[in-house]
Amino acid sequence: MKLRINFHPALRWPPIVWVLLTLMAIGFTVAMVRFALGIGPISNLNNAYGWGFWISFDLFTGVAISSGGFIMAGLVYILQIKELKPLLRPSVLTAFIGYLMVAIALLVDLGHPERIWYMLIYWNHTSVLLEIGICVMSYLTVLAIEFAPVVFEGMKWEKPAHFVHKFIMPFVIFGVVLSTLHQSSLGSLLLIQMTKLHPLWWTPILPVMFFTSALSIGLSMIIFESSLSSRYFKRGLEIHLLEKLARAIPYTAGTYLVLKLADLAFAGELGLLFTSGTMSLLFWAEILLGCIAPIVLFSMQKVRQSPNGLLAGAIITLLGMILNRFNVSWFGIARLNDPGYAPSLVEMSISVAIFSAGILAFGLAAKYLPLFDAEEHTHNAVSAPATGD
Amino acid sequence: MTKQYAYIFDATRCIDCRACMIACSVENNVEMGESYIWLAGAGVMGEYPNLKRASMPYHCMHCIEPDCASACPVGAWNKREDGPVVYEADKCIGCRYCMNACPFQVPNFDWNKGVFEGAFIRKCTMCTQRLEVGQVPACVHTCPTDALKFGERADLIAEAHARIDANPERYINHVYGEFENGGTSYLILSHVPFSELGLPEMPETPVLEVSEAVMEGTIPFALAWGTVLTGVAIGVNQMNKKKEAAAPVAAEKETEAKS
Ligand code: SF4
Ligand code: SF4
Ligand code: SF4
Repeated sequence: MKLRINFHPALRWPPIVWVLLTLMAIGFTVAMVRFALGIGPISNLNNAYGWGFWISFDLFTGVAISSGGFIMAGLVYILQIKELKPLLRPSVLTAFIGYLMVAIALLVDLGHPERIWYMLIYWNHTSVLLEIGICVMSYLTVLAIEFAPVVFEGMKWEKPAHFVHKFIMPFVIFGVVLSTLHQSSLGSLLLIQMTKLHPLWWTPILPVMFFTSALSIGLSMIIFESSLSSRYFKRGLEIHLLEKLARAIPYTAGTYLVLKLADLAFAGELGLLFTSGTMSLLFWAEILLGCIAPIVLFSMQKVRQSPNGLLAGAIITLLGMILNRFNVSWFGIARLNDPGYAPSLVEMSISVAIFSAGILAFGLAAKYLPLFDAEEHTHNAVSAPATGD
Repeated sequence: MTKQYAYIFDATRCIDCRACMIACSVENNVEMGESYIWLAGAGVMGEYPNLKRASMPYHCMHCIEPDCASACPVGAWNKREDGPVVYEADKCIGCRYCMNACPFQVPNFDWNKGVFEGAFIRKCTMCTQRLEVGQVPACVHTCPTDALKFGERADLIAEAHARIDANPERYINHVYGEFENGGTSYLILSHVPFSELGLPEMPETPVLEVSEAVMEGTIPFALAWGTVLTGVAIGVNQMNKKKEAAAPVAAEKETEAKS
């Protein structure tokens, strides 16, 4: 008798899926404990650190790395740079998933997640957080609309896809306005911490700084994610397009650098660059990685035209600018009596789980939805008249 | 005009007995470790026989321009006309932005309560329930040395300056809270630098000014930005249409040139 083993189809999923699912399960369990017993038992947050890893990573980093969506929508729809179109769908999807991740993370972080909709009925018009809340909720809706045609196409519903496409412009413009607002408002969120946030970072132009750095982050994120997905899904890399985006990064990073130094000089605080110990170090790390390195790297054609160069440059920029988000929302804030705070592994497992869910969602969408074949369409469109001749 | 109440705390009179904390925890029915005030300050300083004591029950400052109230997205904080900054638990979503916004690091959070019990912000209330029946806050009532006193803010400021003038060698010549953060309803007299009592150095302009000014500009900015983008979108569209109209001619020329 022959032994026949039939693997259940689920067991044939690639191992990465199993890893992601495991991480999600761990985070889910921790979240349940958190809802039952409170935030204290699963995290190291305390009264001096009401906001910690979750806010710096899930909110500040999460929103920043989702900025590619509005940048691409602006470039393709408003400025009508049609050749960039192949990058549009993946960026909009990244943004949509990114914002969903932010929303889910906030539900874990809020003391009263069941009351999140109170933001819609009780308006305190002086609150920056209210503005961010409203913008993020509205922008999630806009992203859903922007992404809907892809889903409809995937389901072969040509008519609704066409319908949404026809009326997309007002939503795109609304989306860009909303993004400009909340990307910069994340910086405004810290304006009220004037006496606590280190003067290397606190400036009345925090919103401008945040918007400028969001541009660098968004562009790098598109490069990063296209590079990775082309590697994983073994499809062609749109180097000629990414090269164009990379060319813009020295300008956004340069603007940030000039604004930052001018602002410090104007406030007469340039000395802080060298006299603030750890803070100076953190600041320099952020500026070197997030501004100076990309200006140097992406000014070189050789870097911009090599897949590895693009990916490395994008990762360095992201590291630097994400460090900036951690600096302003956590490391750079002075506490009155400081009991200290380091996030616990259990606390971070929730962010890891949400991130894993995001990666899985992107992977599934890439597999089952027409996410990447827009380029073939345009190629066909370009080559069609030629064959017609 | 209604009276605006305030406290005055005189650090030279505080003997670190912590009766105020016990009174607070009893009055507000919270555990001792979770009373709305805590002891701040450097404790006993100096070398024998020149010892100094620096301690203070750290209260909410009941700011005249409260940053917590400016920051809260759902408006759960309210500065009452008669002085106290009060918190409406029924509105609170638990975002903890008030904790971050408060420059005095006053609001505390129920870290060990889940969603069923309900996790809220805890902070000194100025014992509004006692004010209503004409009593002074429990901590003030209990203080055995009159280090804590309660009354109308203007009167207390006058009294503070009178105390300094009567004993200039005993006090630092400054009433903390008269102007800090735009003025607070918890005033402090001290014989040691205020930082020894755990108090931050504060500007006289309220901290919330910059952020509220930016918020006021938000809607006009959004409208202007939306208009600009719409203009750009229409302009680019027109330009491309013109180009497309001209394109076939160019293409023809090209083919002509090729042939
Ligand atoms: S005024 Fe009342 S609530 Fe505030 S510290 Fe004193 S006893 Fe506690
Ligand atoms: S001290 Fe803090 S909590 Fe109290 S009123 Fe001022 S800002 Fe609000
Ligand atoms: S935790 Fe509650 S009171 Fe504090 S800012 Fe958030 S909603 Fe307002």
